Order: sequence, then C-alpha cells, then structure tokens
Amino acid sequence: VDARTRPVSLLGLVALIALAFMAASACSLTSPGGGADHLQVVHVTERDFGISAPRLVKAGEVRLVVHNDGPDEHELLIVREAQARPPIRSDGLTVDEETLQPDLVGILEPGGPGSTREIRLHLSPGRYELFCNMAGHFMGGMHTFMIAVP
Amino acid sequence: MRKGPAFTPFAARGRRTVAAILLTFALFSTASVTVSIWATSRSQHRATVVEVAARQRTLAERYVKEVLLLREGVQADPAYTAGILARSADALLNGGLAPPVYGDDDEIMLSRATGGHIRDQLEQERRLVTDLTATGAALLAHRPVAAVPMTAHEHVTVANPIVRLAVLAALTSNVSLNAARTIAGQTDGNISNLIIYQVVLGAIGLFMSLLFALALIAAIRRQMAHFRSIVTSSTDLVLVLGEGGCRYVSQSVTGMVGRAEGDLLADGLAQFIHPEDRSVLEVTGADRRTDKVVFRMVNRYGEWRCLEAHVTDLRSDRRIRGVVLNARDTTDRVRLEEELTHQAYHDGLTGLANRALFRDRLDQALARSARSGEVLALLLVDLDGFKQVNDSLGHDAGDELLRQVAERFAETVRPSDTVARFGGDEFGLLLDGAGESRARAVARRLLERLSEPMRVAGRELALGGSIGIVAHVGGAGDSDELIRNADVAMYAAKEGGRGRSEVFRDGMAREFGELLGLEHELRMGLQRSEFRVHYQPEVDLRSGQIVGAEALVRWQSPTLGTVPAERFIPIAEATGLIAPLGEFVLREACAQTAAWQRAGLLPESFVTWVNMSGRQLSSGGMGALVRQALEAAGLPAGALGLEVTETAIVQGGAAGDRARSELERLHASGVRIAIDDFGTGFSSLGQLRDFPVDLIKVEGSFVHGVERDDKDAAITANVIRLAHDLGLLAVAEGVESESQLAAMRELGCDLAQGSLFGPPMPAERIAGLLAERRDSADPRAA
Repeated sequence: VDARTRPVSLLGLVALIALAFMAASACSLTSPGGGADHLQVVHVTERDFGISAPRLVKAGEVRLVVHNDGPDEHELLIVREAQARPPIRSDGLTVDEETLQPDLVGILEPGGPGSTREIRLHLSPGRYELFCNMAGHFMGGMHTFMIAVP
Repeated sequence: MRKGPAFTPFAARGRRTVAAILLTFALFSTASVTVSIWATSRSQHRATVVEVAARQRTLAERYVKEVLLLREGVQADPAYTAGILARSADALLNGGLAPPVYGDDDEIMLSRATGGHIRDQLEQERRLVTDLTATGAALLAHRPVAAVPMTAHEHVTVANPIVRLAVLAALTSNVSLNAARTIAGQTDGNISNLIIYQVVLGAIGLFMSLLFALALIAAIRRQMAHFRSIVTSSTDLVLVLGEGGCRYVSQSVTGMVGRAEGDLLADGLAQFIHPEDRSVLEVTGADRRTDKVVFRMVNRYGEWRCLEAHVTDLRSDRRIRGVVLNARDTTDRVRLEEELTHQAYHDGLTGLANRALFRDRLDQALARSARSGEVLALLLVDLDGFKQVNDSLGHDAGDELLRQVAERFAETVRPSDTVARFGGDEFGLLLDGAGESRARAVARRLLERLSEPMRVAGRELALGGSIGIVAHVGGAGDSDELIRNADVAMYAAKEGGRGRSEVFRDGMAREFGELLGLEHELRMGLQRSEFRVHYQPEVDLRSGQIVGAEALVRWQSPTLGTVPAERFIPIAEATGLIAPLGEFVLREACAQTAAWQRAGLLPESFVTWVNMSGRQLSSGGMGALVRQALEAAGLPAGALGLEVTETAIVQGGAAGDRARSELERLHASGVRIAIDDFGTGFSSLGQLRDFPVDLIKVEGSFVHGVERDDKDAAITANVIRLAHDLGLLAVAEGVESESQLAAMRELGCDLAQGSLFGPPMPAERIAGLLAERRDSADPRAA
C-alpha cells in the first residue's frame, strides 16, 4: 500500500510546492514596483583565471548570478567604466579599488570553488568592468566587461 | 521456545543493571576519548599542513626575489627554492615528506590531502608552481618567457617577463593562502564536529545510563513494594526485638490487636503483653537459635489475644540485628481447643462434668486417699419418673428438667465436690473427705431437693430418685469397683422402693450383682436385636379352628443362651426396659399379622394378642403407640388384642385412671382387650363390669388342677361362668391334655391355648398351620 501511495503523495507535494511558487510569482508580478518581468538575470562564470559574462545586457535592474568554477577562490567587483582601464596599485598586481570607489556598482566577496553567489544591481546604460581583484588574478586575466544598453 | 522464569530474583536483575550502567559509561568514555585523540592528532596534522601551505606563499615570493637577484648578478639559489616549492606542493597534494626550508628545520610528514575542493586547489597550486619555476628558469636562461607552456593558465596576457613572473608568484601565493585557509577551515569544522560528537556521545551515554538507572530504581521500588506488600498484607505479625526493645513491627499489628505501629516500638511492646508472658521479650537475652513462643497480647478492646510466634535469631545479621518474631493470632484455635476439651469432659446439656471427667476426678481422689488415707464418698442418683416426663411432655421439657435437677444438685454439695451427669437421668457425685454419715445426709438433701416441685413446660413437677452410696474409708481403691458398687447400691435402693438411698454393703454385690449383669445383657440384647417374637395358637373349642395367637417374646442371648421370659421380664419391668421391649413386640406382631392377612391366611375375626405390662400402661402414651403400630403395619384395629393383668387395670391413682381411659379409647376403636391370668389377682368385680373387656383368660395353673383339685375346678368353672354372665368369652390357658380339653369343653369354655394345640412357635410355622386349616376347611365350606 505504502509503495503505491508514497509516489502519489510525493507528486502531490511537488504539485503543491509548484502551485505555491506559481502563486508567489503571480503575487510578485502584480505587486506595484515589483517588476519581476523587468528583472534581468545575468549569468557570470569565474574560473582560474578568467571571467565569462554576456557582452550586452539590458540596462535597469539586473540579477547577477555568479558561479565559481575554481579551482581557486574568486571575488567579483563590478565598476562602471569611467576610464578605459582600471588603475593598478603600486605592487603592479592589483587594481586600486579606492580610486574606483565612486564607480563601484557592486562587489561580491570571495567564494569558494563550486559556489554560486548572487547580487542585484541597477545598471544604467554604459560600460561595466567585471574583475577579480585577488592577488595577481586581475593581471592573470580575470577581467571582462559588459555593456548595458537602454 | 525458551521460557524465562516467572520471577527473576532482584539481586540478579540489580547486578545486571549496574553492570549495564558501568558498561555504557566505559563504552561511551572510550568512544569519547578515542574521538578526542583522533581529532586532536588530526588537528595537529592539519596545523602542520596549514604551516606548509602557508610557507608556500613565502617561498613563491622568495623565489621571485631570488630570480631577480641572480639575474642582477647577486648570489642566490632560486633553483633550491623552486625545488622546495615543488616538493612541498607535491607533498601537500599526495602526502609524503615536505622538505625543510632552513637547514636546522625538520622534514615534515604530510598525509594525502582529502576533500574535493582542497585537492583542486592544491593541484592548481602545483601547476602554478610548475609554471612559476618554469618561467623563472626561462628568465634566468634568457629564453623567451612567452614560449614557456602554461599548465595552470589558459593564457597570460602579461608581456613583461618580470611582471609575468610576479603575477605567477602572486597567483601561487594566493592559491596557497586559500588552500591553507581551506585546510584551517576544515580543522575548525573538525573541532566543531568533535564537540558535537562529544556532546552527542555524552548525551546518549547519559541518557542510556539514566534509563538503566531509572530501570534499576523502578526495579528496586517494585522489589521493595513487593516485599512490603508481602509483609503488610500478611496477617502474621512480624516483630524485631533487639537492643532497646522492639525495633520493628509490621502493619498487621493494626488489624491483629488494633494498635498503631508506633505504640509498640522500643519499650511500648511490653505494656501490651500479658504480665505472665513478658518473658517472651527476653528472647533477645538468651542464646537461642530458632524456637516457638506463645504469648498473649491485649487488643484495644481489652481482650487478650493468643499469639504463637516463630522465633528466628538474626542478631548476627547486620541488616536486622535482632530476633525476629513471626507471630500468628491463634486465639480462635486456642478457644476451640479449650471448648473441645470442655466438651470432652462436660455434659453438653447441664454443663456438669461427664463420666470421663468424673472418672478422672475419682482416680485423683483415690490417689490422694491412698497417700493420705483421706475418706471419700461416691453417690449414684437415678431419677424416678423422668421417662414419663420425657414421653408425655417431650424431650425439651425433659432436658429442662435435667438442667434444673443439675442446678439443684450443684447447689446441694460443696464447690470442691464433683457433680456429674452420666447420661440419661443418671447422676454421679463425688464427695471429697466425706464419710458415710455425711454421704447419707447429702443423699437425703438431694432427695428433698428433688421432691420440691420444679416448673417445667408450664407444670409443677416433683421427682423421686434412687441413690446408691459408696463410702471409701481411705487407702488404695479402684474407681471401677467403686462405681460398680455404687451401682449395686442404687439398684438395691430401687428394689427397696422409690425415693430411697442405700449405702453399699458387701452382701449386696452377691444379691444384686447377677441382676445387674442380666440388666446389662438385656440392654445389649435390645441393641443387638437378640429378641424374637413367637406365637402360640388359640383355638375355638366348638369349631376347632385357630382363631387367634398370643405373641410371646423370646430371648436368645449369645452369652446367656435362651433366657426364660419369667427371668428377664421382671428385670425389664424394674429397669424400664419393658417399654422398648414391649414396643418391639407390638410392632412386630402387628407387622406379622398384617403379612398373614395379606397372604390370605387369616380366618375372619382372627386376633393376635400382645401382652401389655402394668408399667407400660401406667407410663402413658400407650394408646398413641398402639395406633401408630397399627397404622404402620396397615392392620385393622380388630385384628389386634391387648392382654392386660388384673392388677394393671385396677391400680389406683392418676396413672391407673390414665391407663383405663386409654384402654377404653382403644377398645372403642376396635382393639380387643383380654384380662390375663384372671383369678390370680384380687379384682374388684365392679371394676370389671365397667371395664371394656372382650375376653377373660383363665390362668393355666387352674386349668392344670381341674382334674385333681376340686377348688381349682370350682374356680375355673366360676370364672367361665362369670365371663359368660358378663357377656365375655373365656379362654383356657395351658391346656396340655385331652382330658383337660374335655373338662374345658364340659365347663363351656369358649377358647383354649396350650401345648395340646401347639407351643409358642415362629411365625412361619403358624403360617403353615393356618394354611393347612384353611385348605382342609375349604372343601367343607364349599
């Protein structure tokens, strides 16, 4: 009896959860200023030693989903690009974050290999530099850019 | 299927539970310590790993500096540093010896790295070390750095070889640092896990120990409750006596003697124990092992209860330190025993001593007499007229009478004297220290008290008595002989007339001893059914037919042989045994006649005659007895005749009146009446006229004398004539010869009986005769 009823009840549970999610999304769709349909998901992948991100994104609210493929730990800084190239510190290996502070749009703390982190950003149209500023990582190639278009 | 015992002794269960608790503690402590040791050693190892991993960062930076210094021509050994870097990276990843950085350092033994991420990181580190050292070597060899193949890096965009080297060193350094951090994180995790393990293990151990301990406590409680229930529900009283008195008393004391447990503790017990029994408390003093004691305790109603206790000396048992008394209330048993003893030695009706106790007291008195020469007297009293009271007023009245008599007797003698009832209406008195004169005085007083009227069943009754006295002059004596002599004396008193006492004299034994023996045999004979009824035919002199039979009792004693009726009938009359004997003959004769009648043997108007003694007539109840016998046998009243003597019907007083009126009533109901042995007494002819008689029997001695004695012939002729004149039939008894028969016929006698017609014979022979006569008469009748 159990063998037959369990899948049914599991299915029922799954269906219930699905319904709950649908209801939740319906609520957020209708909620004022929610704008789930406007929230753009942008997938970014980090690895030793490079960053993959879409070249073009739509300006506005963006949900940045960042996955670290490893093997090393990596952080992620998002800077609206005022200058062509971020300034390098005197060690010659890391970007001078203080100088960039006014243009810093978002920062994700270091995540271990295999981890996925998220950050919500408001991107006004323009060019954005994405990079990891751990020792040598920027110089090692962990930087890219994406352009937010209106 | 194995079945466990119904009840595991607590000791075994307790031991098992304690063992389980200890085992649990040992198991969990060992597990905890083992985990701690393992975790500590693992943490130490990880600290070493972290140290080596962290060292890589410094080594990578040192390598870059050494390359740059060597390139500038300064003495440096980057290859040595590169070697340490590479070997350390390999040891971190796969385990093995990490080389010392400085000369005085030791090699560090590392185990193979485990865990997905840390291995990925260490592999990346090793690749970076390879890339770094290869780039450094190319730079020192002035080879193009861009041509060095990168293993950890897809592409390096940095063109400047020195910057490129610095970047690779930074990457190596960074990944080493991250690896060290990851390993340190693992150690932290391990310590957290260790704490969790310890807590969980401790909790489980504690929980299990608690469970066991609770089970143990529950078992102890159950066991205690079990024993408490046994002790408290037991009706036995448990006492522990030790130093300082009573140390323990079980709850049952409340139910047993109605005392609170606290009242009996310490010195309290003594006040409830009978003063004579307080020695029971000294059981603790004596060196006793196991024994039984009996003592009395007073309950709250002031009633003494008898207790029987089993004593167990447990003074050497340090858990008890006392003598244990297991007491049971035996009051009911003791009372029953006392009652049974009393019953065994007392008469239930009067409460007087019985024959056994009397005999015992007599033996004791004789023993005293043998020692001191003290005199004593023995009185045996037999009540006269008691049977009549019993028969006419019922047994309840008889019993009441006996009780009153007993009271009077007890009042008459001294308290030291013994009054006993031997059964029936016979009493015995033992007078200690009494000589013949006092014994006579007591006997006189007893008779006086008996003659004072007693109120029984609404009537005033006075009794007489016959008293036999034996005066023992002192010295040795035999109680049996004394009682026998008293019996003889009493017999003599009876013979001498009622209301008398006689002192035993030596001559009496010879005179009355034989009679007493015969009386005893007669009693036994009645009990053993030694009596038979024979019948003597009675013939009609005109027709020659058997018209009746006289029932005569015969005694065949196994000890005395055939005893003639004239020997035992007077004794039966004197002792009152005539009543049961007469009743036996009456019932037997009625039953036999009815049997003949049913067999068709009897001619019409056949009558069976039964002798009725004067004592039977005067004792009353005869009418009822006759009617009952007729009814029981199913015999018509006309088939039964009663032969009574002249003296019986002419006696005076109330008894005579009662006898006559009963006979009149019986006669009215059809029962025939005959005057037996007419002519031997001195009948008042007037009474004879008024009395309902059918038949007069002429005594055999006159019949015998008819032929040779003129006087006898005259008496016989006159008796026959008198009978005819009064309208009665005359019967000649004892006709033995043809000449006597002829004389009787001549005198006009109606009926005759005697050996000429047939001696007394058993019923079967009479039946034979009757059948013979019937068969010979029938043809003529036809």
